[in-house]
Amino acid sequence: MRILPRPRTAAAEASRLRFRRQLIPYLFLLPYLTFFVLFRLGPALAGMGISFTKWSIVGAPEWVGLSNYEAMTRDPRLSAAVTNTLFFTGLTVPLLVVLGLALAMLMNQPHRGRALGRVAVFTPYVLMSTVVGVIWTWLLEKDFGLINVYLSQLGFEKVPWLVDQSTAMYGIVLTTVWWTVGYNMVLFLAGLQDIPTELYEAARIDGANAWQLFRRITLPLLAPTTFLVLMLTIINSFQVFDQVYVMTSGGPGTATLTLVQYIYTTAFQFRKMGYGAAIACLLFAILIIFALVQTRAYRRGVRGVAA
Amino acid sequence: MITQKVVRLAVWYVLLAVVIIFALAPIVWMLSTSFKPESQITTLNIEWIPRTFTMENYDAVFERFAILRWTLNSVIVSVAATLLVLLLDSLAGYALARMEFAGRNLLFSIILSMLFVPLQITVVPLFLMFSKVNLTDTYLALILPVGANVTGVFLMRQFFLNIPYELEDAARVDGASDLRIWWSVVMPLARPALTAVAIITFLSTWNSFFWPLIATRTDAARTLPVGIAQFMSLRPGQSQSAQAYGRSMAGAVLAALPPILFFFALQRYFIQGISMSGLKG
Repeated sequence: MRILPRPRTAAAEASRLRFRRQLIPYLFLLPYLTFFVLFRLGPALAGMGISFTKWSIVGAPEWVGLSNYEAMTRDPRLSAAVTNTLFFTGLTVPLLVVLGLALAMLMNQPHRGRALGRVAVFTPYVLMSTVVGVIWTWLLEKDFGLINVYLSQLGFEKVPWLVDQSTAMYGIVLTTVWWTVGYNMVLFLAGLQDIPTELYEAARIDGANAWQLFRRITLPLLAPTTFLVLMLTIINSFQVFDQVYVMTSGGPGTATLTLVQYIYTTAFQFRKMGYGAAIACLLFAILIIFALVQTRAYRRGVRGVAA
Repeated sequence: MITQKVVRLAVWYVLLAVVIIFALAPIVWMLSTSFKPESQITTLNIEWIPRTFTMENYDAVFERFAILRWTLNSVIVSVAATLLVLLLDSLAGYALARMEFAGRNLLFSIILSMLFVPLQITVVPLFLMFSKVNLTDTYLALILPVGANVTGVFLMRQFFLNIPYELEDAARVDGASDLRIWWSVVMPLARPALTAVAIITFLSTWNSFFWPLIATRTDAARTLPVGIAQFMSLRPGQSQSAQAYGRSMAGAVLAALPPILFFFALQRYFIQGISMSGLKG
């Protein structure tokens, strides 16, 4: 804050003013910080604390040390949840990033109708998660769902999708890609539009072909955007819940049980608050590790390009 | 040369058509199913345009589900949360960007660090907290936690960093207080940032599912996403009756329509807001 010279009547007045000046920033921050501490920072820390307790809402929490974390190592449902979440992430992230980029490059072509295409691809993202879940439960229905009817008309075998252990997760993946790819496309489009067209023109004059343009100009200059998209997509994939809750509730069996779905059932259906909080901490740890690995890889990549 | 151009255009239009069909077909199918009578829903004949139009699915939705109440709840919660966030974040963002005080950078880092903490970790304590004061299943339980959002503060601060000092200085010479400067000099300039924050907050609150699912028990405070989930979660993973599908599609249409219209009306701001933040909520 800049303090401009003012006419001062007395030294006391000046010091009173200075004190007020120092106080003002905190007054501006106070309302937000109250909310931040009460509903974000506080609960985040409390959540970590609760993960060391046994607590079923009624009664007082009982300190149990690391036993929730020990229990995790022996919990087959948890290992299913971790495996499923990794599987889901491993499948959706590449699809969403590659398709998002491909769609952005397509919709960046200077042809008629691209505005319409952009809007169409983005429209599913406007729908709320549960509406998407409801629509796709019907599309993926095993006997009369649109997808299976078309598959069988084309001579393929019907896929049991959501009702079979081996295919249910693919149904969730398909739904998620359809729903969110438009968001990545918009981010990539913004990145593409920041690349100066002169670069392409100059390279074309030098005789570069389309692949070289992509490989040598688009991809390197898009790296910051790609990094952002990758980070956001990974974070969101690890936290997948809404579609799963609506479409399968984690079933059949534990076929689509994801980490957040398991947190939900543990804490809010079986009322095991301590164990639920511990699983949330595990999710946090996984996210942090991925963020660190990725940031490091990105830094190394940037250095590699610069060198 | 000319044939090459024609081929290129043909490929473009084919690709464009395929993409548009894949993106919109599920939405059109939802619409189509919602107007079909029970007997024409579970059938192997695909009819994109219903042979007979019926409103019976919609009637059933209104009769059996409090969908209007859920919508009203969603509107109240999203509007209130958005106003709250605009007030809190523009004040805090202004202080973080334009004022010098002890601990500013530390404070900003602490706030930003919460971007990396998944919301699921806060949900158990939040639930316990709201249960303690008997506020679960109320609007307040859904509105107040939104006030702690991080993205809005970040965006407001970034915006305030870039306004010229001269304007504030001039107002200060005229003897205006800081609050006055914030309200009548800085805020009018911040329209674009405020719009972006408003859209992002409104949408993320409108679509929010995990916390409202946990915090609400009855239709009194239940929001639209949580209500819609009830259409399917009765017997998840299993096939349901034709009637149930007709109803759920009607419910889905009712829930999908306002956001789609909203999006088409405000498309430009919408996409701007998203590219500006690169973040959901």
